[in-house]
Amino acid sequence: MSATGLTPLSRPSDRLTRRRIVNRAMELLAWLAAAIAVAILVIVVWSVAKRGASAINLDLFTKTQNALAQFGIGNAKQGLANAFVGSIVIVGIATLMALPFGILVAIYVNEFAPRAIRGGVSLVLDVLNGIPAIVIGIFVFGLIVAGHGQSGLAGSFALAVLMLPLVARATIEVLALVPDSLREASLGLGVPRWRTTLGIVLPQTIGGVVTGAVLAVARVAGETAPLLFTTSVVGTQMNWNPTHPLFSVPLAIFELSEADDPSSHALAWAAAFVLLMFILLTSLTARWLANRSRRKIGRVA
Amino acid sequence: MPRNGKIVRITLALVAAALLGALAVTSAGAAGKHSTDTLSGSGSSLIAPAVAVWETEYTGATIQYSSVGSGQGIKNISNRIGDFGASDAPLNKPQAAGCHGCVQIPWALTATSPVVNIPGVGPNKLKLTGSVLANIYLGNIKNWDDPAIKKINKGLNLPNLPIVVVHRSDGSGDTYVFTNYLSKVNHQWKHQVGCNTTVQWPTGIGGNKNPGVAADVAQNPGAIGYVSIAYVISNHLHLAKLKNASNNYVLPTIKSIESSAQLVKAQKIPANNKISITNPPKSAKFHNAYPLATFTYVIVPTTSPKATELKSFITWALGSKAQSSIKKLVFAPMPNVIVKAAKKTLTEIHS
Amino acid sequence: MSTFDATDKPVRRSLAGRRTRFGDLLLEGVAGAATAGALILVGLIAYKIVQGARLSVSTFGLGFLTHVGWDPVHNQFGAAVFLFGTAVTSIGALLLATPLALGVALFLTELAPSWIRGPVTALVETLAAIPSVVIGLWGILVLGPVLREHVMPFLHSTLGFIPLFGPVTTGTSVFTAIVVLTLMILPIISSISRELFLGVPSELKEAALGLGTTRWEMVRGVIFPYARGGVAAAMILGLGRAVGEAIAVSMVIGAATTGIHWNLFDAGNAIAAQLANDYSNATPGLWTSSLFYLALILLLFSLLVNLLAQMIVRRVARRQGLATR
Repeated sequence: MSATGLTPLSRPSDRLTRRRIVNRAMELLAWLAAAIAVAILVIVVWSVAKRGASAINLDLFTKTQNALAQFGIGNAKQGLANAFVGSIVIVGIATLMALPFGILVAIYVNEFAPRAIRGGVSLVLDVLNGIPAIVIGIFVFGLIVAGHGQSGLAGSFALAVLMLPLVARATIEVLALVPDSLREASLGLGVPRWRTTLGIVLPQTIGGVVTGAVLAVARVAGETAPLLFTTSVVGTQMNWNPTHPLFSVPLAIFELSEADDPSSHALAWAAAFVLLMFILLTSLTARWLANRSRRKIGRVA
Repeated sequence: MPRNGKIVRITLALVAAALLGALAVTSAGAAGKHSTDTLSGSGSSLIAPAVAVWETEYTGATIQYSSVGSGQGIKNISNRIGDFGASDAPLNKPQAAGCHGCVQIPWALTATSPVVNIPGVGPNKLKLTGSVLANIYLGNIKNWDDPAIKKINKGLNLPNLPIVVVHRSDGSGDTYVFTNYLSKVNHQWKHQVGCNTTVQWPTGIGGNKNPGVAADVAQNPGAIGYVSIAYVISNHLHLAKLKNASNNYVLPTIKSIESSAQLVKAQKIPANNKISITNPPKSAKFHNAYPLATFTYVIVPTTSPKATELKSFITWALGSKAQSSIKKLVFAPMPNVIVKAAKKTLTEIHS
Repeated sequence: MSTFDATDKPVRRSLAGRRTRFGDLLLEGVAGAATAGALILVGLIAYKIVQGARLSVSTFGLGFLTHVGWDPVHNQFGAAVFLFGTAVTSIGALLLATPLALGVALFLTELAPSWIRGPVTALVETLAAIPSVVIGLWGILVLGPVLREHVMPFLHSTLGFIPLFGPVTTGTSVFTAIVVLTLMILPIISSISRELFLGVPSELKEAALGLGTTRWEMVRGVIFPYARGGVAAAMILGLGRAVGEAIAVSMVIGAATTGIHWNLFDAGNAIAAQLANDYSNATPGLWTSSLFYLALILLLFSLLVNLLAQMIVRRVARRQGLATR
């Protein structure tokens, strides 16, 4: 309060101090948020690692579950070999299904489709991407499994449906990055369209396509819902025939998590640890590949 | 300019992969067939320990069993997923119709039982009546020190602890047996909730299959659940005694279960083998009977490519050797009249 | 027009032309067929779900959405309990995750020293890579007991006057599901927000700072308004993810179908989780059809959410050009 009406110099600096305090508080909150997010990740990964690593042994990969041991009869060593093998087969076949499909869709969208269709197909791919995995599982059950029986192939198909938009989108992006000048040069030299696309444009994108594929694999390797109704009725024996229902790692974790005995929990943690490591490594690989291919395309342009 | 070879290679790779993919997709529909020396089945988690024992002892086909709950077992075999289904609940009319020509064959006899996790109360100590049990599951009795519970448990130090009701979240034969019993002993239950593999539970949390319920009970102080007796033993859960119609508090044992099974002698066994032996009436014969005993069924299509293997397996399972090897899991020997009916039904299966 | 054309014999040229056109047509045909296949696939999914739901829709109509109860014994089915559960868990997760995600994004774009940025970004995106079944496992065996023994009783004793924080009975509860979902949608919201914040033109930011604003005021006055639409889209995407999550939620939410409770510490249920639990044992007929009705609701909602978000995100991305990493 000043009698002369002049604002004392101390007033602005009070306001300034308050603003600085608020600013500092917000900065701290942001640091805190980041710390919490990192802490959560560390806690989860650490939990899985600690409990999982201690249960990892050769038996995990060489033996299968023992039905009797689960009910406390005898103490045969248990493992999840059939789950690991099953997952490899299922995801592998899913990749074989989704990859050419996704690449072909991307080629059509980017190289042949008129502008109007391009947007529409992109939209449809986004829609497909947004469908919850459980709905896809129910769909594949009704389409293939009902009346005929489960199989690893049905599970692969469900996973392939999930992978398709990921592979297609990644391929579309890298195809778009290939400069038109390359295509025009090739066409100008008389190379037909199809040879241009397959022999010149596509090879440029291999890095990006592989990245997209690896990311898609990382995404579906841990999916449980699509497998729940399509390839879940399995015994404890080793099986890798995809025309039979196959066990899988996510399903193993899902079932073992609801058991009551510590040995089942130990198996679940071990499987979770292996799955997590696989997915993390695959994601890191994809990231590294993405960086590499981006550098390569930069050089071509 | 890239040489022909590269284009050809890429094209061939794409085409080959696409063909492989298409082949895989189309054959997925035709898949699901199994080799002749494996029998695969799914369903009841109650019978799963017995099948595990039988798996190791049967010298015929390799048995592969997936414990997914009776409800799913029925649905699976109705969709011809696997060669047989297992369910503690007999098929109701829609299920029987949906299975398109299946028979149900009783192949074991055991019980479901209430288990509790009350701090300070040891195993086999708590006494329950059908009425109290029903009211707990109806949500009418909410705390362990409720006067209704205290009245029948004089001498037990019941804490002031809310009751955590645990039931099954999946389609369960144990649920069928349990709700079958509750429908018989409690009017409100019969009309409000009824009897089925899945019901609209008035209260409580759901655990997935017997291990899930066992886990939920073990992890929540104040919990009560119902679990097949084989799981009670393997998981060291605390049983509660149940009062039967003859006013005795009984535990599920081979003897008390066998006693309940005598109920079949008073009934005519229907052609579809649908029998209920819960809550045997008051009588000298049933003075020691356990009220939650049940038969459990194997469900088989009458027409099956594996008819021969199925018949030899089930005949073996009905035999005295197989039945006595699961006695240690508290599966009681079945009355002769049931074994006869089972074998008779078995003859309906053909390839 | 190739310079070699003049030397080609006419016969060879026309053959080359036909083969070329055939090759082009073949590739376009095969690729087009694949695309058509993708379109048909989506249509088929929608068709199958709608067809499956038809019986239930014609029996219950829209009343299905408000009917409380799921009774296979009396053939009375309603979505209200699951809609409520999905709404509470998803919105709860969104409320918890958004401030955290914005904080992380701000940290990474404005505050972090450059050597921290890369690792922390990678770490937060790694959270997105953890499969839902692993989070569910962790939720049942680690998070649930911790919440039941420490966090929930604490909240109940301090905030118990609010009906949301009622008595604590079990570790598998709506609250556990909210925490689990928060973990799962945090990375989505934060990575999209991060890219949005990076895309704010630096001239705008520098202008504000040049005028003497504190960094927070710059964020509030420049970054947030600029990125508002994109952040909304990110939140919508996170919501969609939370709504569609079946496995992790079904593992920790307790599968209680008993009515609508406001107590977060009670067990509950959600649409996707109910599908995971119940579909395997539903008898054909009204029960299975009602599950398809639930799936239809889920499908419609997810489509709506994703379309909305994608529209906004694409519009924003176009506005900002290629996002910088």
